[in-house]
Amino acid sequence: MSREARIKLCVLFALVAGAVVAFGAPHVLSDYFVRIILLIALNAILVLSLSLSNGFTGVFSLGHVGFIGAGAYISGILSIPVQQKLALLPHLPAFLHAFSLPFLPATLVAGVLTALLAVVVGYPLMRLSGYFVSVATMGFLIIVNVVLINASDFTRGARTFTGVPLETTLPWVFGWLAITLFVLARLVYSPFGRAMKSVRDDTIAASAVGIGVLRTRLIAFVIGAFFAGVGGSLYAHYLGSFSPNTFYFSLTMSLITMLVLGGMGSLSGALVGVVCVSLLSEVLRSVERGFTIGEFSVPALFGASQIVLGFIFILIMIFRPKGIMGEREFTFGLTQRSAVVNQTEERKR
Amino acid sequence: MIKLTRRGTIGLGLGALFAIASASTALAADTIKIGYPANLTGIQASLDGPMLNGAKLAASEINAAGGVLGKQIELVTYDSKSDSTTISTVASQLIDSDKVVGIVGFADSDSVLAIGPQVQTAQIPFITPGATSPKLPSQLGNEIFLAAFGDNVQAAVGAEFALNKLNGKTAYLLTDIGTEYTTLLSDYFVTAYEHGGGKILERDTYKIGDKTFTAQIAKLKALSPQPDFIYASSNAEEIGLILKQLRQAGINLPVVGGDGYDTPLLLQVGGDAAKDTYFTTHAYIGEGASPKVQAFIDAYTKSVGNAPENAFAALGYDSIKLMADAIKRAGAPDPAKIRDALAATSGLDGVTGTITYRPGVSVPDKSVSVIGVKDGKLMLASEAAPSFVAEP
Amino acid sequence: MTQLDYMLQQIVNAVSLGSLYALVAVGLSIVFGVLKLTNFAHGDVMMVGAFGVALLVGIGVPFPVAVICGIAAAAVAGFLIERIAYRPIRDAPDVARLLTSLAVTYIIENVGILVFTSSPRNFPLPAFLNTSWELSNGAITFTSINLLTIALTFVSLLLLGWFITRTTTGLGMRAAAEDMSAAQLVGLDVNRLIIVAFIVASAYAGLAGILWAAQAGVVQPQMGFTPLLKAFVAAIIGGFGSIAGALVGGYILGALEIFIVAFLPSSISSYRDAIVFAVLIAFLLVRPGGLLQPNREIKL
Repeated sequence: MSREARIKLCVLFALVAGAVVAFGAPHVLSDYFVRIILLIALNAILVLSLSLSNGFTGVFSLGHVGFIGAGAYISGILSIPVQQKLALLPHLPAFLHAFSLPFLPATLVAGVLTALLAVVVGYPLMRLSGYFVSVATMGFLIIVNVVLINASDFTRGARTFTGVPLETTLPWVFGWLAITLFVLARLVYSPFGRAMKSVRDDTIAASAVGIGVLRTRLIAFVIGAFFAGVGGSLYAHYLGSFSPNTFYFSLTMSLITMLVLGGMGSLSGALVGVVCVSLLSEVLRSVERGFTIGEFSVPALFGASQIVLGFIFILIMIFRPKGIMGEREFTFGLTQRSAVVNQTEERKR
Repeated sequence: MIKLTRRGTIGLGLGALFAIASASTALAADTIKIGYPANLTGIQASLDGPMLNGAKLAASEINAAGGVLGKQIELVTYDSKSDSTTISTVASQLIDSDKVVGIVGFADSDSVLAIGPQVQTAQIPFITPGATSPKLPSQLGNEIFLAAFGDNVQAAVGAEFALNKLNGKTAYLLTDIGTEYTTLLSDYFVTAYEHGGGKILERDTYKIGDKTFTAQIAKLKALSPQPDFIYASSNAEEIGLILKQLRQAGINLPVVGGDGYDTPLLLQVGGDAAKDTYFTTHAYIGEGASPKVQAFIDAYTKSVGNAPENAFAALGYDSIKLMADAIKRAGAPDPAKIRDALAATSGLDGVTGTITYRPGVSVPDKSVSVIGVKDGKLMLASEAAPSFVAEP
Repeated sequence: MTQLDYMLQQIVNAVSLGSLYALVAVGLSIVFGVLKLTNFAHGDVMMVGAFGVALLVGIGVPFPVAVICGIAAAAVAGFLIERIAYRPIRDAPDVARLLTSLAVTYIIENVGILVFTSSPRNFPLPAFLNTSWELSNGAITFTSINLLTIALTFVSLLLLGWFITRTTTGLGMRAAAEDMSAAQLVGLDVNRLIIVAFIVASAYAGLAGILWAAQAGVVQPQMGFTPLLKAFVAAIIGGFGSIAGALVGGYILGALEIFIVAFLPSSISSYRDAIVFAVLIAFLLVRPGGLLQPNREIKL
């Protein structure tokens, strides 16, 4: 069998396995485990979308959650049933009162509008480098938060935004995760992907060989924002009710932790990071309630899980600064298309 | 020698932790389990912490007296981290893994709205000790019960107290726009106050976490004519400071507010500046309080090590008593029966007042205490049910 | 109350708030200047100083002694953070160090919550600092703590100015800030200089934390985050890494915040934080070196 065919077969196998889990898990597992799987997949979409700018293009954005929040609110406003909309958001403009969108179109609209927002924000901001872009995007996050709190005609202000139909199920999330992975994998391991990495590794050299630095960064930023908007919409339809502070610093911290622990320059790294951090914090959350093993009993230490995660983060930074995966990908021996190999090949030429 | 690979280490570590986690849940056989999710870390912690202490106190008192239906009750507690996502995970853990018969928890509407759909689907009765949004039961469904009065009621009592007792015909309204509780309370206050014939002269806002209010205060000071009083819809962290900065700027108008004031911080931070301050709250927990309240204060001090931080401690205590009472009357630890018994609660005497649910209404009719500050001490200024209450 | 009085009152408010921001921003700038590190843990060092004072006064230590101990505790905390968390990754990329400092913040805050719970506690202020003063028949008022903040900001910054221009260690710090490897080549003990920079910056954080808590009236494990964000903005407006810049930025930010609330209707002034951060972004784009360092190149 040729390599191409084997890859196709494996992708097909992965898709089937994903579909089996997505449709089968709710019948086999308890609601708690289904939720954990769903959250892992949802966070995977968010972290993957973050990795595009932060990992592959070297624009370390702290404002990504601002796009997720925008996506959540946009799709929420669009998809609340008309009846409830009148009661919950009486001051909306009339044309928004007139209709409500089903889940999929609302999600797509949220993604597209969020991407447009990213064009507007990114056009000036992508000129900045290093931690200055981090600070500026953090400013963007704060501005989004303030606007969400004050635009109360659209968002109910600081009050909980509620009434969003609970439609995010495993098949939806797995479906979107597959699309995200597919698009990102095609993008990152394409000529454009190499442009992104060259912008990250050496801005001056990249522009010297004719790569448009601003353009490259902006495209990565906008595509990332599109999936952030989609993820935000999925989040909104998972929670049903949320407030501006749902999409603020603590979510930012947890997404960044996942990305950095997994490895910033690798798609599999993002996935590994999400799975490890999610499972670890789930386990720690149960352990910190205190437990007894035989004679030995540990009292409840609420808050300990955050401390442990913080220490693990610092240890990774010190001993494995590129994260668990670094820039490698899981290839299962199928393909040579991993980043490191790619570079060596190019050097040989 | 076994050599650990990177993946192996991770897998082994996670496996070990899972083993510990599952071992920790596999204890306590024949108890009645009540779920108690609490935001013990994050922004809600200063309310949920004392509330959990109150709840634990109630549970240990009930168990010391023989439990309910001949069984001990067990509070199953998780930290939900003031985060909607964690709350929904914790809810499924409580409902699916721990098989609780009822859930008690949260001091804020955000968290209740986050857990609501799941308890509603699973048909598990839920009591929120501290959330005061009267809209919650209509937004979520018939499993949701409030142990406290609604914000519309306390705002109306505040408005009537200002109009009748303080003779305040004009008001200045200061709102914390950072939280649901304060924005909602302000809205209800405006409705009730304007219905009673009062006039709001000027409104201003700040955001939770702010430490300087001098700019707003200078603006108020430049107002002509001056209002009769100030209604400040504020949380515990800021109100002492607002009062201090008001009085230091030479503004001695009466200040009226809601149960967010009800922590020792009001007097500790406000000091002398807290004079002429009035707030509506659940119960008077101070010197010369009723014997029932005093007994609670003593028991709390003994078990926790300090006096109750705020009225939420008492509300947590009352809510567990309320749940236990319903379980007893239900006759069996069955969620559906408990819900019906809960809805039929009548005349349950708690630390924060008597709880009765009218048929079909899951917000109790409780009287509202208005507490004022005089000579650096809290005193009961009035206790009333309002004549007009804004629609939830 | 006349228009002029109103204006003067708001200026008094702005200067007092600006002093506080300046004091926090200076500490951030010292560390940034020497290490090129955006130290998010600076806010938590403030918390350590303020909690130290609150706890010591709680067990009966006189206030001035408690203040000195609080500042010392903050300095020790800063030293430990540098030694344990930052030194091992000193040569890592900017972003990795920024993230490490975020993780340190995360840890300190949660340890604080575990030990002290996140309920706010009263910050005990002695009576002589609680008095207020009036001018123009009570139309303009300010408090002793306002005056003290302004005075201490000036005195401590003068001291700092003397330290970095007149002492060998201070000059060494400036050399290291200019070019770390060159400083090493000419025989300066860079490790020692970095430790000194952290201790000085953290002592400033401690002082700022105590003053912040004195104005706020309460201490809380999470109290450091808001001042940190504000100081960040101040430092960038003024010119990150420059001490004079931090001072100027602090006062500009204080004035901006007060005047937005003072002279705009509340429907707009509730967007205050958004306006402040929009100004920050504008500065980053147009004048990235801040007001005082026009020539710094950090753009593409």
